[in-house]
Amino acid sequence: MKNKSTKVINKPLQAKKVPSFLVSISAVILGVIAGSILILIIGKNPIVGFERLLFGAFSNKRRIGNTLSMSTQLILMGLSFSFAYKTGLFNIGGSGQMLMGGIVSTILGHYLPSSLPKPVYIVIVVIGALAIGGLWGLIAGFLKAKFNVHEVVSSIMLNWIAYWLVYDFIPRFVKDQAIAVKSKPLDFSRTLGLEWLRKATGMSTLNLGFLFAIIACVVIWFILEKTTLGFNLKAVGANKYCAEYAGIKIQKSIMISMAIAGALAGLAGLTYYCGYSNLMEMGKMPNEGFDGIAVALLGNCSPIGVFFAAIFFGALKMGKGSLAATGIPTELADTIIATIIYFTATSVIIASFWNKIYKKRYEKKKAKLEGEEKK
Amino acid sequence: MKKTIALALALLLCFSVFAQGAAETKTETPALKVGMVTDSGTIDDRSFNQGTFEGVKKAAEEFGLECTYLRPSGTTTTDYVTAITDLYDAGYRFIACPGFLFADAVAQVQAMYDDLMLVIIDDALSAGIGANSVAVVFKEHESGFLAGLATALKLEEGSVGFLGGMEIPSVQKFNWGFQQGVIYANENYGTKITMDPSNFVYSGSFADIALGQQIANTLFSKGVDAVFCAAGTTGVGGLNETKNRALSGENVWAVGVDVDQYYEGDLGNGKSCILTSAMKDVTGVAYDMVKAAVEGKFPGGTLLTLGVADDRAGIPASNPNLTPEIEAKVAEVAALIKAGTVVVRDNGAGLIK
Repeated sequence: MKNKSTKVINKPLQAKKVPSFLVSISAVILGVIAGSILILIIGKNPIVGFERLLFGAFSNKRRIGNTLSMSTQLILMGLSFSFAYKTGLFNIGGSGQMLMGGIVSTILGHYLPSSLPKPVYIVIVVIGALAIGGLWGLIAGFLKAKFNVHEVVSSIMLNWIAYWLVYDFIPRFVKDQAIAVKSKPLDFSRTLGLEWLRKATGMSTLNLGFLFAIIACVVIWFILEKTTLGFNLKAVGANKYCAEYAGIKIQKSIMISMAIAGALAGLAGLTYYCGYSNLMEMGKMPNEGFDGIAVALLGNCSPIGVFFAAIFFGALKMGKGSLAATGIPTELADTIIATIIYFTATSVIIASFWNKIYKKRYEKKKAKLEGEEKK
Repeated sequence: MKKTIALALALLLCFSVFAQGAAETKTETPALKVGMVTDSGTIDDRSFNQGTFEGVKKAAEEFGLECTYLRPSGTTTTDYVTAITDLYDAGYRFIACPGFLFADAVAQVQAMYDDLMLVIIDDALSAGIGANSVAVVFKEHESGFLAGLATALKLEEGSVGFLGGMEIPSVQKFNWGFQQGVIYANENYGTKITMDPSNFVYSGSFADIALGQQIANTLFSKGVDAVFCAAGTTGVGGLNETKNRALSGENVWAVGVDVDQYYEGDLGNGKSCILTSAMKDVTGVAYDMVKAAVEGKFPGGTLLTLGVADDRAGIPASNPNLTPEIEAKVAEVAALIKAGTVVVRDNGAGLIK
């Protein structure tokens, strides 16, 4: 005991700051508590409710596979948003970039010769999805860099351009004769699905995309933490005037950042429309673009945080069906998600709450030490 | 820090113990449980989903069954399959799926479970109807026809327009039937209703209220007197525009779709701008199917094509905006359709779009 206190004295004595993951976990716990209260209010048992939620997400191989496959696009969309966010940009155009990635891969899937070996095919569609998504992000980045058009405005507009392009391209290139509002379903061999993986997970939709998402997490972490480019981008995000003064080219940084963010979202389009699903629908803006923002916020915009936040959201999304089957409205799962987002968005309050606790503890310790010194 | 983690872990442990207990208590489910999965719309869409669920619920209450609905997390086949599986795993053995979007999902699921009774509405399951599935389609052209006839008789003179959702068979059939009804009235009852091709518009969406309102605004500005709004939520925008104009004193009308939309056009003074509605009786069909399932007479493996002759398509029983004479005339023609004397075509040959 005495040893320990002397150790503390040797270090500069100051209150600890709360680690960001604790804030995220607090947000989740508060969200779950709020959800439980909601379930109680409508007269159901929250424990049964959450048991069903977990059952729906993880009860067997197929459900685990589906949860991971649902999380895949959330990981990529979360990464996309976080990457731009690190450069001080708010990429709300994820949905459009995702749609473009999806439509290009769908068209490639239908038009590339079926004799093409699968590995080559996969490489081509991945490059296609990355390129078009990157281009879609780059347009917003270019407008921001050259003409100072706010990226929120331009990327929302680009969302609608993508939406209507998809609306036109589906009937033009990949029309389904039977159902007029969907694209022709892709043959299983032309999706990211793998036969052995599908069999191993009891016919789930888990596909190569999940591997891509993990690779993307590692690559993004590497770019942000270990390269000059990452340092430059973060510097621009922290203070762009300061970065400019230090000789960093802001315009270039903005364009690169948006292009990489767009490429990640484009890849999400590939994993969603040619992995999780095997067709595209007309007139449907994917929610993942907005869910990605929540994932990024909950994951504190770090690749590892995004990974786990996305799996958490994926589990909620996958499990809410089973939750609803007990008579608890599906909307409740959405409400819980929304509550968690709310608590994350107000993370400043949670952080200051934890910091206060740390400070109190520190003051107690300090008073105790001072008391000992006086003796 | 360590304490916090320990606390969290302890909570998690307690939680999982409870969860385990909860799981063990509910295993046996002898009674039939009936469920429904919503399509891209919501349960309160005052149209397809709501109509179907009302039928399921009515039957469930009557026979004392447990019933619920599920909103899938998305609108892809995978999402629908997951939703149906969720209900199945919770003990539901009768599931109604309103909408053609379910076609692939139902085709997949019917192969997975032998003891699950599935009803798909608005799709003929061209890939094959499973032994335990029922596919229900409606003769939309017949109810469109009667609505067109009623509209023409009410207006006597003027111009009509059409606001559609996506250009898909069920919407097109409404449109074609509507036009045939108007033509029939012009030929047999001496009405003078004109139809301009530019007033027949497909908005391309079932979910865009603002777009529906804009299109209806354009149509009315061009002198249309009544618009047939067959466009889901987009159509509600059309109804709203009609309502606004009717409130400001214009003599304009809208024709509703799928269910009786009379109260959608409520003007706040006990009147409505909804002339009539071209209905498909999803509520009745859903009720019949649950009833058949309870009585063990579920017609698995069949395709039901329902129209005026089955009393599952047509206009509402009461239309406060139509005079008794008009209603009598419409009923007369409905009887002719039933008898097969009047045949409504389900294709657009010679018609607008």
